[in-house]
Amino acid sequence: MTKNSTKQNFLLFMKINLIQLIIAVVFAANAFAIPVKAQDMLQRKVSISLQKGSIKTLLKSIEKQTDVLFSYKKDLIANDEPLTLEIKNEKVEDVLKKVLTPRNISFEIVGERQIILIRSKSLGLDLKENGSNQVNMTLPTIENNVNNDITIKGTVSDEKGEKLPGVSVILKGTSRGSTTNVDGEYSIAVTDSKSILVFSFVGFQAQEITVGNQTKINISLKIDSKALDEVVVVGYGVQKKKDLTGAVSSIDSEMFKERKETQVAQALQGAMSGVMVTRSGANGSMGGATIRIRGVTTIGDSNPLVIVDGVPVADVNQVNPNDIENLSVLKDAASASIYGSRAASGVILITTKRAKTDQASIQYNYENGFDKPTQLPDYMRASRYMELVNELRWNDAGNGANKFPTFSQDLLNNYDQKHQTDPNKYPDTDWMALTLNKMARREAHSISVIGGSKFVKSNASIRYEKLGGFYENKDYGRIFLRSNNDFTINKFIGGTVDFNFKRTNTNDPTANDPLGRIRISSPIYPALWADGRIADGKAGENVYAKIKYGGTNNNNFNQVGGRIALDLKPIDGLKLSAILAPIFDFNNQKRFNKQVDAYSADNPNQFAATLISGGLTTRLDENRSTNYSLTTQLLGNYIKTIGKSDFTALIGYENYYYKGESMGASRDQYLFDTYPFLNQGPAALRDNFGTAFETAYRSQFGRITYSYNTKYLLQANVRRDGSSRFNKDYRWGVFPSISAGWVMTEEGFMQKQNLISFLKLRASWGTLGNERIGNYPSFGIISFGNALFYQNNVAIAQQTAAQVQYAIKDISWEKTASTDLGVDAYFLKNKLRFTGDVYYKQTKDMLLALQIPIFVGFENPNQNTGIMETKGIDLDLGWTDNIGKLKYSVSANLSQFKSIMGDLGGTEFLGSKIKKKGSQFDEWYGYKSEGIYQTQEDLNNSPKLSNTVKVGDLKYTDISGPNGVPDGKISPEYDRVLLGGSLPQWMYGGNVRLEYGNFDLGITFQGIGYQQVSNLDYTDYNAENWGVFPVYLDGNTWSVNNTPDQNLAAKYPRYTETNKGFNRTQSDFWLFNGGYFRLKNIALGYTIPKNISSKIMSNNIRFYVNASDVFTVNKYPKGWDPEGFGIVTTVIGGFNISF
Amino acid sequence: MKSKILTAVLSILLFASCQNSLDLYPLAEPSAEKWYSNETEIQLALNDLYRIDWWQWDEDLSNNYLSDDGFYRQSLTPVKSGTITSQWDFSTSLWRNSYKAIARANRAIVALNSDVTKSKVAQSKLDIYVAEARFHRAAQYAKLVNHFGDVVYTDQVVSIEEAYSIGRTNKKTVTTKIYEDFDFAIKNLPTSYATTAVKRATKGAAMGLKARFALYEGDFKVAAEAAKACMDLNTFALHTDYSNLFLQSTKNSKEVIFSIPRSLELKQTVGPISDIITRNAGGFGAQNPTWDLFCSYLCTDGKTIDKSSLYDPRNPFTNRDPRCTATIVEFGTPHLGFIYDPNPTALQVTRLSSNTKVTNNDNRANAQFASFNGLVWKKRVDDSWLLNGRLIETEHFIIRYADILLMYAEAKTELNEIDDTVLAAVNAVRSRAYKVAVTATNYPAIKTKVQAELRREIRMERRMELASEGLRYMDIIRWKIAGKVLNRPIYGILDPADLKSKLVDKNLWFFAGTPSIDQDGTPDFTAMAATGLIKNLVLTTWDDRQYLWPIPTSEIQINTNMKQNEGY
Repeated sequence: MTKNSTKQNFLLFMKINLIQLIIAVVFAANAFAIPVKAQDMLQRKVSISLQKGSIKTLLKSIEKQTDVLFSYKKDLIANDEPLTLEIKNEKVEDVLKKVLTPRNISFEIVGERQIILIRSKSLGLDLKENGSNQVNMTLPTIENNVNNDITIKGTVSDEKGEKLPGVSVILKGTSRGSTTNVDGEYSIAVTDSKSILVFSFVGFQAQEITVGNQTKINISLKIDSKALDEVVVVGYGVQKKKDLTGAVSSIDSEMFKERKETQVAQALQGAMSGVMVTRSGANGSMGGATIRIRGVTTIGDSNPLVIVDGVPVADVNQVNPNDIENLSVLKDAASASIYGSRAASGVILITTKRAKTDQASIQYNYENGFDKPTQLPDYMRASRYMELVNELRWNDAGNGANKFPTFSQDLLNNYDQKHQTDPNKYPDTDWMALTLNKMARREAHSISVIGGSKFVKSNASIRYEKLGGFYENKDYGRIFLRSNNDFTINKFIGGTVDFNFKRTNTNDPTANDPLGRIRISSPIYPALWADGRIADGKAGENVYAKIKYGGTNNNNFNQVGGRIALDLKPIDGLKLSAILAPIFDFNNQKRFNKQVDAYSADNPNQFAATLISGGLTTRLDENRSTNYSLTTQLLGNYIKTIGKSDFTALIGYENYYYKGESMGASRDQYLFDTYPFLNQGPAALRDNFGTAFETAYRSQFGRITYSYNTKYLLQANVRRDGSSRFNKDYRWGVFPSISAGWVMTEEGFMQKQNLISFLKLRASWGTLGNERIGNYPSFGIISFGNALFYQNNVAIAQQTAAQVQYAIKDISWEKTASTDLGVDAYFLKNKLRFTGDVYYKQTKDMLLALQIPIFVGFENPNQNTGIMETKGIDLDLGWTDNIGKLKYSVSANLSQFKSIMGDLGGTEFLGSKIKKKGSQFDEWYGYKSEGIYQTQEDLNNSPKLSNTVKVGDLKYTDISGPNGVPDGKISPEYDRVLLGGSLPQWMYGGNVRLEYGNFDLGITFQGIGYQQVSNLDYTDYNAENWGVFPVYLDGNTWSVNNTPDQNLAAKYPRYTETNKGFNRTQSDFWLFNGGYFRLKNIALGYTIPKNISSKIMSNNIRFYVNASDVFTVNKYPKGWDPEGFGIVTTVIGGFNISF
Repeated sequence: MKSKILTAVLSILLFASCQNSLDLYPLAEPSAEKWYSNETEIQLALNDLYRIDWWQWDEDLSNNYLSDDGFYRQSLTPVKSGTITSQWDFSTSLWRNSYKAIARANRAIVALNSDVTKSKVAQSKLDIYVAEARFHRAAQYAKLVNHFGDVVYTDQVVSIEEAYSIGRTNKKTVTTKIYEDFDFAIKNLPTSYATTAVKRATKGAAMGLKARFALYEGDFKVAAEAAKACMDLNTFALHTDYSNLFLQSTKNSKEVIFSIPRSLELKQTVGPISDIITRNAGGFGAQNPTWDLFCSYLCTDGKTIDKSSLYDPRNPFTNRDPRCTATIVEFGTPHLGFIYDPNPTALQVTRLSSNTKVTNNDNRANAQFASFNGLVWKKRVDDSWLLNGRLIETEHFIIRYADILLMYAEAKTELNEIDDTVLAAVNAVRSRAYKVAVTATNYPAIKTKVQAELRREIRMERRMELASEGLRYMDIIRWKIAGKVLNRPIYGILDPADLKSKLVDKNLWFFAGTPSIDQDGTPDFTAMAATGLIKNLVLTTWDDRQYLWPIPTSEIQINTNMKQNEGY
């Protein structure tokens, strides 16, 4: 080192120290110096492409790609020449040096992420090159007027009143700046009252405040919604997505805005990997759906635990989809085990929307649309139906000479003509067309009002929706009301008070199973006489008239919930919260069945039949149930940073109590059907009942997270739970978990590439519990009843009592251990996002109602027995980019799992499915079929279920016998085998979003790659011995009237009632691939340009149309939706306006 | 700072104080641990054994026809289609319900024998309680043995672990145990209860069910003795009016030895019984008596229809045993508010309430699904069936005195100990039907003492007397005639057009011929069927393996000690 260079170095040293000194003076209030991660900041890599840009755009681009914030005096970079450069994956430091040094600008890191630019003509190696005025160094302008400054102090917090450390506070137009300390406090010197302070922090919207004559300025920053997806809601808190070590999927309010499903559960279908949603068709869009997270973990209740704003609720449909800010699914044990006790089936966390400081708006949304069935199966018309019934009876009567055993030849001849002339005597009723409406209307209004000040922030919303049904007397209405309020009292105390109300009103006809009955009803029975009066149908079975006139079953479900939380911050970094959340349910049911009498066709006075289904008499049932639950929580959160290490700790206590009580009363044989009140019924025919139960648990839990240099992440949870459902000695369970993450892109060796922008490997292990098996399994409950005796020659009732199940005293927690390996990777400047997980779950001590010998005389009890192993993968892939003005994103997800039963210590029989050692969960169980018997010889030489089996029936394989070898007989005990899994395989979903100008378009698809499904439901005929036949059986059924070749090609065995049970018992013959692809949703929106909408003071007006369940591709019989009868296509149009 | 910590601590304490206990006991029901501890609780446990759930019979008022007495259009139960497998619901539920009752009886007996109970309850009362429990246990085991042969026997409360080591017990051993229980019950149960007392099981009930069990198992000596003992109690008597006995308005007749009452008011009912109600009255007319039953009724001369000169196939109800028209609705008579007439030419029929002619829907010419063989049930049915949403409160008979008399006669006949008491017993039943004294001469009293002849007479008498009471199935099983009577078509009338042209127009209505009555008293329609003048509705098929029902599938699959019955 030469002397000169030594001097220069000294000068440089002096210079830097001087600057630091000055900064130290300026930032004097910065009492808690946050450890500077300067080098980290400068080591971040960026890629920038500029065509005739400016330094300003360059700096903005760096800000965007990293966490840094630049502060500088405006004139520092003013009048600069246009800048063109191409940078690929270079360190910030290098880029800045390259660009700024030639311009005599030096940079300095302040606080955690702030970089100040300073005019420094004499700095650096370029000193030599610009040798002329190097010694005359110019001090930064910020130093100039220090002595005349006014000092402004204050605190910066987020909308919830949480103090924000590390917020940068810059005097606008200067490079003067400061950052907040751990308590969110800052201090800065400003020049005059016109000075403007700019507060900025990553993840929040920057805010500018004119100083005026204030000396203390407290402000709260609003969350920047663009950055939301970086924050994920986890158990009892939030985490940055990049810090996650568990498997958590999360969706935000945008998805609910787009999907427009009435029920939250339905909206989750296909939305993310590892979440299987199965709809039940019967109620169309009003219906719920079952949610399975990562398959099935337990044999009992596999519904995920649902937590809304920290409070457990019954299911996801309790929440107004519009109120949802974020929905997170905790898929692995490490994420879920903070809810240890009941989290074995995964956890769904829902956070509802809250107001932000300095925010005020009103939004109104209106929707109108309709539902229509996706498709309907075709059933045979009268004459063909009668021909086939004749064939069936003829088969069963022994194939005698009379080929018209039920419907005579006379009747069949020209039936259609007879029907035209005398429809009363020769009906041909299309029950489906008659009963079902073409479409069902729906309508919804939503209003939300948001307002936030420094002290109080409120968000109130109300939604009203009404959905019609496909048939009369069916509708569904719902009101949601929610008010979320946050209070900030002072820097030590804050709190929230939330309130929500929900009322659901469902109306159904009292007629049983309308959709099922219209499918069964044969066309040869009349629904209406020619003169419009109702007919007797099939001996009183007239589903159409019963729906229309038979009375209604009205259910009201009212829920009032609240949540009061008190937050205390006694010392720095520590936050204590106490939460009290009661939920009350008041449900009532009024079921008023009306007697409907049909009279004969030719004589309106001749009684024909009282319509059946739902009850023959006019009867009123009134039922009430009230439920109450209370969740109390005490939470302590602590955050601490030491050097490069960040710690957080959570400790909590939770208590939960639930009580349900119900009662009901009824009277029967009302004389009038116009007064649906109990008093109006005959007192002699009254009845009533009542019962109650309660359950409780108590838990202590804790979590520690540790992050070193944001590169190595570690998290550990433990939860200890006690449940009232278990005996005192077996009550407590401990559920630990541990997880770790490694952000590889933070490593030096990853810095020299620009393909992968972020890469994290995750691993987790943990255990979870399940206790949902009825309320008192450890007691042998005594069940009461009545027996009748004679006394004084009249029947009297005496109370009876009996123990109906074993008391399993040692019954305890079911435990699931789960291991997860995951990777989160972003490629090509975050354009391509990939998340993949593989997992392995083992459930032990499974709570299982094994089949016990029937002769013990007790019900199958729940026992801790058995092991189940589940392996699976979850993959999510996304791509976001733009082509010119067209912004687009594509995402897709894929999940697969398989559950194999270990040693269960027994078997659970489920009719056509089974759980036993080595089987899959609910595997198909039945005979192996060898097709349809074609010849008498084959039949004679084959083992059979019974001697009644005939040619045209199904042939089964003789697999075994009592001695372990085929015994020449087909028997249910020895010849039924496992036929493969029944659960869906390779479930997928995906979404495409496009935005162009004011238009936005979203398309969602979803499906199942492969699933073994039973055809039995779709091929039933002659149900209840009078049901209609589906059209697709015709011509595909084995028949004595066929040629041998036709019979060889027959898809279905012969028509028979006698042997129907044999042919239509479960066998591999009836299984087919029920995989499907569904175009789930298309949503198209148009936002009116701001300059137009602002004319009516609105800041946003958007119109949209939305269609769900548009079409499917599948192998189901024609007319059947893969998800069942009653699945609907929904089309909605609506608009949103906000002020 | 201190105040902040204080606040925090205070609020924690506040919360901790609202926590509830985790020791939650059932709110609405007691737990078994504490039950069976006093007399009231034991009484309640005994009451449970009388619940109707445990007393399902082979055939009840629903459409589950197992025997050749009745049928439901063209549908067959697995018994009659020959398609019973170990997955048959009906046998599984008999097995399950019987064992539930047995487990509860065993549980009660254990409690009754405990020292605690003994110290609290007088021995005399205790004996009656135990006798009641043992009566029920025996009755349930009897049903099981009759249907399944060897069954699992235990008189203890079995733990799950033990259960897997248990298999079926030889029928002989079980039989001994059943007799022991019945005998204990006979010894300790009261003969009768005062009218004002709650009527529970009696000596006579135990004797009657013991006789039935023994008879079904071919143990004729025991059967005869038990039946005789019951007769000798002199507490039971035949109801005067046969047809009236079965109406829902008849309660607690002296003839009924053991029954389960039903009551509309107390919500223990049967129904809606629309399948039995005729179509004119708004029912379905779908459950009908078979022609087999109809043709089994003797003529008033005591002869079978193929032998009696009194029989007229054109007027098949004339000159028949009175129980014929008490069981099956005679054509042209009032029934449920209308004149019943299935004749295809009777397109209109009188409605009694208005005395006007209305469309006759009990006729297949007008209504496709009117009775397929022209017959509808009369037994038990009266106008009151149309009330109360077609729910009825007909008493559920388990055993009645006429059955005791016939069992006595049958057992003695099989023992070939035929004496006047035997004839007196069976004639008591027959004379009651004719509403005359047993000694009267204006009814066809049975006089033969030839074993084979008397056997046939008694079998036919049983069929006439006990039709549709759920007893016929075990009769054809134990007489081993199921292979014949459940292995042939069920016949009905031709379709309306043919019926009119081939029968009515030729003046052949109702029957175009007369079936022959075989040695078991059952009609044979083969010859009539060959004429093409009757219709084969559906074919019944029998498999001899069905003489014993199969053990439910899961019992075999989960327990290696359980073996299936032969043939399944």
